[in-house]
Amino acid sequence: MRGPTLFALLLLLLPACKPVKAEPLEAEVVITPWPPQVRPSQILIRVPRSLDLVSVKVVGDMTHAGMIPVEADAVKTEDGVWRVEGFDLNMRGDWILTITAKDGEGTKYVKEVRFTIR
Amino acid sequence: MDLLRQPVVGRFVRWRYSRFVLQLPLLLLALLAIYDGFAGRQLAPKNLATVSVWLHYRGFLVLIIAVLGNLFCSACPLMLTRGLSERLRRFVPQLSWPMALRNKYFVLVFTLIYLFAYEYFDLWASPWLTAWLMVGYFGAALVTDMIFPAGTFCKYVCPLGNFNFTLSTVSPTKIGVRDQQTCLACEGHFCVNGRVDTAHGPEPLSFDTGATAGARYPGCETRLYAPEIESNFDCTLCFNCVRACPYDNVTWEMRNPAREWTEVRYRLDYVLLGLLLFFAGFMNAFAMIPAYYDLAERAAVWLRTQNEAFLLVMAFVVWVGAGLGVTMLVVRVSDRLAGLQDTVWVGLRRWGPAFLPLTFAMWAGHYAYHFLTGWATIVPVTQQALANLGLAVGEPNWQLAALVPENLLYPLQVIILYLGLTGSAYTVFAKARELGRTSSALPMFFYLAVLVVLTLWVLAQPMEMRGTLLDPGSQPGGLK
Repeated sequence: MRGPTLFALLLLLLPACKPVKAEPLEAEVVITPWPPQVRPSQILIRVPRSLDLVSVKVVGDMTHAGMIPVEADAVKTEDGVWRVEGFDLNMRGDWILTITAKDGEGTKYVKEVRFTIR
Repeated sequence: MDLLRQPVVGRFVRWRYSRFVLQLPLLLLALLAIYDGFAGRQLAPKNLATVSVWLHYRGFLVLIIAVLGNLFCSACPLMLTRGLSERLRRFVPQLSWPMALRNKYFVLVFTLIYLFAYEYFDLWASPWLTAWLMVGYFGAALVTDMIFPAGTFCKYVCPLGNFNFTLSTVSPTKIGVRDQQTCLACEGHFCVNGRVDTAHGPEPLSFDTGATAGARYPGCETRLYAPEIESNFDCTLCFNCVRACPYDNVTWEMRNPAREWTEVRYRLDYVLLGLLLFFAGFMNAFAMIPAYYDLAERAAVWLRTQNEAFLLVMAFVVWVGAGLGVTMLVVRVSDRLAGLQDTVWVGLRRWGPAFLPLTFAMWAGHYAYHFLTGWATIVPVTQQALANLGLAVGEPNWQLAALVPENLLYPLQVIILYLGLTGSAYTVFAKARELGRTSSALPMFFYLAVLVVLTLWVLAQPMEMRGTLLDPGSQPGGLK
């Protein structure tokens, strides 16, 4: 009975396996046009000036398996402001934008925003 | 042609561990997917749970059913719980599955609940819920086959298995027998009862008291008697019958599936399951286009409710109910044209099998789209899941592209649907010819053609993959 008991105990522990949330990036994300539409769009990311970032990457995923993500590197336009032009929001539905920023020391900051294109 | 006569196939199938060899990779994949579903990133396109279940499993399923048969039931890792359920049996009461439920009605209701849950909880978008679904499946298989006789889960409970059974009516293979006379002379009915080799020769396993020490070969899990198998319904292709037959009389033969649609007289519950899967398949595809959400908005205004569960139940009731209602009406017209006065249920058993090829085509067209647009994503999601386990497998490339150019996908879906319609048309005209009134096929044929046109319209629409039935609204000014 040791095996089944262990199995049952492991099963009971499963709910604890909720994933760890990503490290937060304090940032304001603006999509233009808003409300978002199926078309190439501008993504503007405002981060605190105190963060000395060397790169910001934007990845757009839809919520259905099998969808190829849209990826782009943001360009720094002024202190604390990063921008992506022509980000291809190519389908209606739920989107998740993942903004991954790196500073000079290699520290990674991540922010996720969700929105829906009607 | 008997596939078991092919050198490698026959030897492999007869090997007592052949099923385990098929199950093991799927079990390992399922365990990794469950782990990733619970512990990995909760983003459906980037999690092994959602990608493997909602993309690859379903895509390969229709492909293998179309090319070979219901091999996914054969390789089903859920059945690896059998060893554990056998051991646990002594701790729980042994019951027989109620007579009233020895049909497909329980599965029918269960399938409806499952499809409702799929839409309501957006299972396709949630790795965590998908992982729980897999755990639930393993648990349900274990508990059902622990309390009830082995095979009960597959035949009477499993919505997935019954989905496979229904779709495999289009498969080009079927279990059969080489020589009917051998079966007539066989007293042990080993293909059903199983076989144990004793010093006195083979004995039926189900009569064995456990005292015999010889090699044991279980019989058919779903209690199908090989010489009487006309349909792939309820056949899990476990090949137990092949291994249990001491006369090497069981075949895995190539066949024309149209013979099944035209000659087999299905029970009403089987026909209704086929119909439910057709209309549910349509709704499953319809729920991914903007028109569905527009209708939901209008229904919400009309019914003065924002309750999504209620609206979804209404959508299921109205669409599946209307589908069944109109089908009954058309069946009645076809019956009248044939000069028949049977009840509508008898008519459904007569004309309903014509839906089977179309049911397959409906799901195949839909699944093919998803599979072909993102099949290669299995590579980076598996890499990521293994990396989460601490294995060095390289940087995932999320840009791995589709198998087929996107502009070829719709033509492919059209071909699949037309092939389905051809099969359905053949069936209704064959039935009408049998009745001696070819014109009686026309109402059913036009009805099926209209359904195909509607399906093609749905598949031609731009997709909208939204988790909320009603418009979630947009925050003014942007996202924070």
